[in-house]
Amino acid sequence: MNKTININLAGIIFHLDEPAYEAFKAYLSAVKNALEGQEGGTEVIADIEARIAEIFSLRIAEYKREVVSANDVEFVISTLGRPEDFQDDDDATFSQQQHKHNGSSQKTKKRLYRNPDERFIGGVASGIAAYFGTDTVWIRLIFLVLLFFTGIGFLTYIILWAAIPEAKTTAQKLQMRGEPVNLSNIEKSVKEELDGVKERFGRFREENKGAGNKVGDGIQSFFAFILMLLETIFTFIFKFIGIILVIAGIIFGSFLLLGMLGVVATTWNIGGFEYMHFDGAVLGLNGLEAIIGSGLTLNLMRAGALLTLLLPLFGLVSLIARAFGKPLANGRILNIAGGASFFVGLVLLIYSGFKVGESFKVSATEMTTTTLSGHQFDLRADLIEENDAFLFEVDDEHLRIENVHLNIKKTFDSTATLVLKHRARGKNNSAARLRAQNFNYPVNQTGTVLTFNEYFSVPKDALFRAQELSGTLYLPVGAEVFLDPSVENVIYDIDNYHNMLDRNMIGHTWRMERKGLVCVDCQDIEYYSNDDLNEIDEAIEEVNDGLEDLEDGISEEIERLELELKRLKNK
Amino acid sequence: MESSPLTNDYMKIENTKAQMRKGILEYCILGILRTGDAYASDIIAQLKEAKLIVVEGTLYPLLTRLKNAGLLEYRWEESSSGPPRKYYSLSELGQNFQDELKLTWEELQQAVEIITTPKTTS
Repeated sequence: MNKTININLAGIIFHLDEPAYEAFKAYLSAVKNALEGQEGGTEVIADIEARIAEIFSLRIAEYKREVVSANDVEFVISTLGRPEDFQDDDDATFSQQQHKHNGSSQKTKKRLYRNPDERFIGGVASGIAAYFGTDTVWIRLIFLVLLFFTGIGFLTYIILWAAIPEAKTTAQKLQMRGEPVNLSNIEKSVKEELDGVKERFGRFREENKGAGNKVGDGIQSFFAFILMLLETIFTFIFKFIGIILVIAGIIFGSFLLLGMLGVVATTWNIGGFEYMHFDGAVLGLNGLEAIIGSGLTLNLMRAGALLTLLLPLFGLVSLIARAFGKPLANGRILNIAGGASFFVGLVLLIYSGFKVGESFKVSATEMTTTTLSGHQFDLRADLIEENDAFLFEVDDEHLRIENVHLNIKKTFDSTATLVLKHRARGKNNSAARLRAQNFNYPVNQTGTVLTFNEYFSVPKDALFRAQELSGTLYLPVGAEVFLDPSVENVIYDIDNYHNMLDRNMIGHTWRMERKGLVCVDCQDIEYYSNDDLNEIDEAIEEVNDGLEDLEDGISEEIERLELELKRLKNK
Repeated sequence: MESSPLTNDYMKIENTKAQMRKGILEYCILGILRTGDAYASDIIAQLKEAKLIVVEGTLYPLLTRLKNAGLLEYRWEESSSGPPRKYYSLSELGQNFQDELKLTWEELQQAVEIITTPKTTS
């Protein structure tokens, strides 16, 4: 079964099958191209169309058929001759002879056209490539590089798109490639086009519909033009957005890919992904297990990541294949399969992500208070890593989390106390509370030396749920503390009289006074300005600070008592 | 781009041949129509038979040019096999033109004979 297309030739309707139509259309437009602009050109075209109609009619009658076939078109071409035979001037005659006898070796002058058959946006790159006789890939690369580094590529492309005409007819396409416009080349070119007919079947049908409407209906053709214009604009916008998305996607995707590869790697314990660095934070890959757990959710997420990765993988394969000029034969199936798995994978990822997110909903705090002996302290930290990074570490039973903050405050008690607040999250209150109680954070006091761990540990199956430990060392007035340099990563924003930063406080001894922590062995600290006015200001500030601290102390005290009361009630 | 001398000469010969044929072609068309009115396809058939033209395409622009120059006239005739056809005839101007061309042709023939004959014998 073959589809036929109706054409109107000199007032007679002919049915052409598809190959015949393609060949005839190419031939007629080449002939028209040769004759247009010539004196009496339109009349000659009408004469020729009439003659072709006559030949078609004769052949249909002769062979008792209803449909014009490619053979008939070939007969017409051999009877009427090449498009350049229709030119009625000396030059044309001359060049005709030239082609006839010198055909294959003779290259006619090339002209720059946009190539509509091989286009990504407007066919500019492939047209330029044809003009210079190189592969389109290189021209596209140049445009991309220009786009990336200067942005000039975009503007250049738009200007070229507007300036270079599109190669519409077969003759123009031949000129674009610099091949002489003669019968054998037109035949060759038409045959090449025929090879692509099946692929363009859908589009072609649309065109044909449009052609039918155009005849005699000005309004409709106007709308068709607007529609075509809009289509072109939208196609361009979509493609432009597409390019931006591709660039953004490559950047974002490479991060995501790394993450998902990590998830996948944990499935089979593939090495090389043990640590991923994100903006200074170190996330141990087994830390992923610490967040998600080793149950169903992790497997769902793994499956999701795998399925989601398939599409970009397929896409990459077919992109590479296309870049090397060998498009995949079953690329469509790959695309559909990739798209489906991407969608399913995304759903799985979102679902498991939501499940994990849900278990971060509620926060709970537990508190322990330890009374310390003595008024002299030497603060040290037991470090596991040199850098100041947030870290998980998982061993067989425990999850170690480096999320400890230590502060020093004033107390009006006579003894020093250490208050540790354990915070954790869970999907409900009791889950969060259970987690908050399951902290292991030993604090050692040997003589004056007070050793803090940089990390605390929780049972492995408690999972990481934003556990946080903030300790406060309450010092009575008169107590002294030495901050060993090792505590730099542990202490957090300690208020002191000199408003010194944490990193400047270490390595010094501090005494708790009524006005706050005062450095005992710091040098070159100006306590007061020499200016009298400033001295008064300082004094006022000092009083205010003292009052504020008092208020702070009282509210801390109230908080502490309230929590104590709660605990007693619970018991 | 320089062509080799050989192809250059060859092209010149082809060009000259084409020029000669083209000049005669107009005279022949007028000659055919002198014997009676004809369709374009009839004229083409006769010219093809005489091997003056190879493809039909050449003729349509020529006929239109001669018609526009007032040498030819045409009328539409219904056809049993296809669309209506143009039926060409010589105008009065065309007849005079053909007479003059005939004279010129005969003169040229003589001239060519006179010039070429002695050379071959001597």
